[in-house]
Amino acid sequence: MSVPVLEVKNLTKTFKNVVALDNITFEVRKHEVVGLIGENGAGKSTLLKILSGIYQPDSGEVLRNGVKTVFRGPQDSAKAGIGMVHQEQSLVTSVSVAENILLGSETDAVRAGFFNWGKLNAKAQKQLDKIQSPISPKEKVENLSFAQRQMVELAKALGVEEFSKEAPVIVLDEPSSVLEGEELEVLFTQIERLRQFASVIFVSHRLDEVLRVSDRVYVLKDGKSVAERNPDTADVDELHRLMVGRESSAEFYHEDEQLAVDGAPVVLKVDGLRKNNAFSDVSFEVRKGEVLGIAGVQGSGREELTRVIFGAEPFDGGSITLDGKKVRFSSPVGAVSAGFGYIPAERRIEGIAQGLSVQDNIFLADPSPVSVGPFLLPAKARTVASEWITRLRIRTPDRNANVANLSGGNQQKVVLAKWLNSPRLRVLILDHPTRGLDVGAKEDVYTFVRQLCSQGISIILLADTLEETIALSHSIFVMRDGQIQRRFDASPGNKPKPVDLVEQMV
Amino acid sequence: MSDTTTLAAPKPRVAVDWKGRLVSALPLIGLVLLVIVVTINQPNFLALGSVRGLLESMAPILLLALGQTFVILTGGIDLSFAATASFGTVLLALWLPNLGMLGLVAVLATMTLIGFVNGFVIAKTQIPSFIATLGALGLYSGLGLAISGASNIRISQGYEAIGWITDLRIAGLPLSAILVVLIAVVIAVAMKVLARGKSFHAIGLAEQAVLMSGGSTVRIRILAFTLCGLFSGLAAVMLAASQRSGGPTLADTLQLPAIAAVVIGGTAITGGVGGAMKTVIGALIIVVLRVGLSAIGVPPSFEQIVYGAVIIAAVVLTIDRSRLGVVK
Repeated sequence: MSVPVLEVKNLTKTFKNVVALDNITFEVRKHEVVGLIGENGAGKSTLLKILSGIYQPDSGEVLRNGVKTVFRGPQDSAKAGIGMVHQEQSLVTSVSVAENILLGSETDAVRAGFFNWGKLNAKAQKQLDKIQSPISPKEKVENLSFAQRQMVELAKALGVEEFSKEAPVIVLDEPSSVLEGEELEVLFTQIERLRQFASVIFVSHRLDEVLRVSDRVYVLKDGKSVAERNPDTADVDELHRLMVGRESSAEFYHEDEQLAVDGAPVVLKVDGLRKNNAFSDVSFEVRKGEVLGIAGVQGSGREELTRVIFGAEPFDGGSITLDGKKVRFSSPVGAVSAGFGYIPAERRIEGIAQGLSVQDNIFLADPSPVSVGPFLLPAKARTVASEWITRLRIRTPDRNANVANLSGGNQQKVVLAKWLNSPRLRVLILDHPTRGLDVGAKEDVYTFVRQLCSQGISIILLADTLEETIALSHSIFVMRDGQIQRRFDASPGNKPKPVDLVEQMV
Repeated sequence: MSDTTTLAAPKPRVAVDWKGRLVSALPLIGLVLLVIVVTINQPNFLALGSVRGLLESMAPILLLALGQTFVILTGGIDLSFAATASFGTVLLALWLPNLGMLGLVAVLATMTLIGFVNGFVIAKTQIPSFIATLGALGLYSGLGLAISGASNIRISQGYEAIGWITDLRIAGLPLSAILVVLIAVVIAVAMKVLARGKSFHAIGLAEQAVLMSGGSTVRIRILAFTLCGLFSGLAAVMLAASQRSGGPTLADTLQLPAIAAVVIGGTAITGGVGGAMKTVIGALIIVVLRVGLSAIGVPPSFEQIVYGAVIIAAVVLTIDRSRLGVVK
């Protein structure tokens, strides 16, 4: 057997106290498409960042065609012929396709600080030709669709061939997450084309696609490579089991604990809500104990919508009714005293107050349960804070520890405790509540969501993944370009499929 | 459930905590060392008369510094506070003769209002506080110069409304200084026992998190500047009482020592860390330093150089470099 083009041996990487990669070993062979799957937090991104020279491993080695190689930075990695197509697109939208493709590697296309446009466009065209893309190098990136931009990214990644005599290794990080239908087919065709002259690492959590394009699949879980499978003999269920370590996703999301809310009273009613340049004509109702999931890509307007409901941004038309009373908040101050809570996606900036203790964070939103009038009851505060730490299994040395020193999952639990502590809470907005959390912490969040519902608290959910949206919600609507595109019933036993939602998203 | 994350073993954390405690005790250690050094050079330093003079000169600095502490805790700074106090002494000189006690109340109210306006402008328009208050500094020092005719005004009629502050003694010590330290204790206790007592700190540490938790960041910011204005007014009263006059630049030389007192006491210039008792220690360091400097023969005109250097040194020592991104 020939030497693998890329080999990773016993790679380990820890961040402060969290083991992100634990003794990972895998290889990529010539003309091979290797699937890499794992949940958020399984270690995929860390592994990719080591391959692109952004992180240095604590131990272990990377071999390129059998030669030990150290990537001190992204340029080292490019010189070794490893090209990255990032999950979040990294193009500069205000300039042309050619400028983007050659960004940082213009070499002789730049003379005395000026572009030689003919040369630049020709060089870019060469990369675009490799994938037979019809996109013009002169086109501005901002005029391209998302799928087209991804092709530009791919062309840019292929530019690494210019630095290295070796056949390139192209890493596709979640390339399919927002593609559908034909665009997806185009991507798969490209992967087949890449196979002719390169090797591909295909990272995804869409298991059916991974099985379709890969020659071999590695499953990562909790920083370990737990399995290697042949797509011809493996199926989606098996991969899922390996990935989450549990029998089914229904169990992971505690679907059996979801309660029906058909007869429950309406708590929140939004009618014809409009914010210029963000969204318009948004109407929906949330019942007591209901989880309403809002799906949509970036720019669909769903983030703005939740911030408007919470009073963090103003709106231009329509109405919000809470318990039958019209409300309009000029800031979150009013929203919180009316019974809204918000768990923001920007946890470290908007969620926790870094520098304050765990206890102070828990009582940040509403100290009323542990105070009399304006005065704090220190003994009661101590007891209640300790109770929350026990109940939510917050891992902290003690309640006075600086919340900044906790891990992401435990910080998120502190944010949860902050709202759960408030007796006023009626509606909780969860904005990507499990972003960046590992599997165990995620499952804890799901458990708390179910508990909140059973206590009659209503939830508006902007989830990280469609699977999460579908599993947790009673009803879902998909937003696209600031409009509600379609509504789905997702009550227990009536769950829509991710693909149904995706169709409406893009 | 699989346990999600692992924290560092408790032991190194405790060690870190000790280091933190040592750092926060540094100002007090510094003060004690300073007193020892000065006493060795000038054995009668701890005599009653000397301590009395020390405390009398500390009172207005500490008042200004306490007001500034609120603002610095929120992560801002009020550069107009000394100019406002000077303006206050002019108003006192003009209003006391006709209004007496009522004039005193009117001046305090005016100073508080000035602080409120500063805070309102900064919180509502989101201008950096040092720019807004730099403008205010020009405004109020100019106003003071204009209405005083650019000269000191002696207070004779109506002086009794403020004179009692400097005249009264308790156990031979000036009432003024004791009152100011008492005020500092009240502030420190309030921050401890009130349910919302850490609001200033919280804003200085994480304004966005406070906002998204339903805290009124606008109101708290305005409150910090309003309190700073009120304390400038109190400092004005104390200065006018000890000088028996009002003057458009009377408090201006206290600007640097007051800010120095806040930061050398251990309140972080970036906000979020500190408190009133730290500022008391800081103010004591500043006045002992002042006496010590003159004891070793440094001319008073050099004092400002020392205060400037002290501010920079204290900030360099205490700044949390991990949060440099938010320094304003």
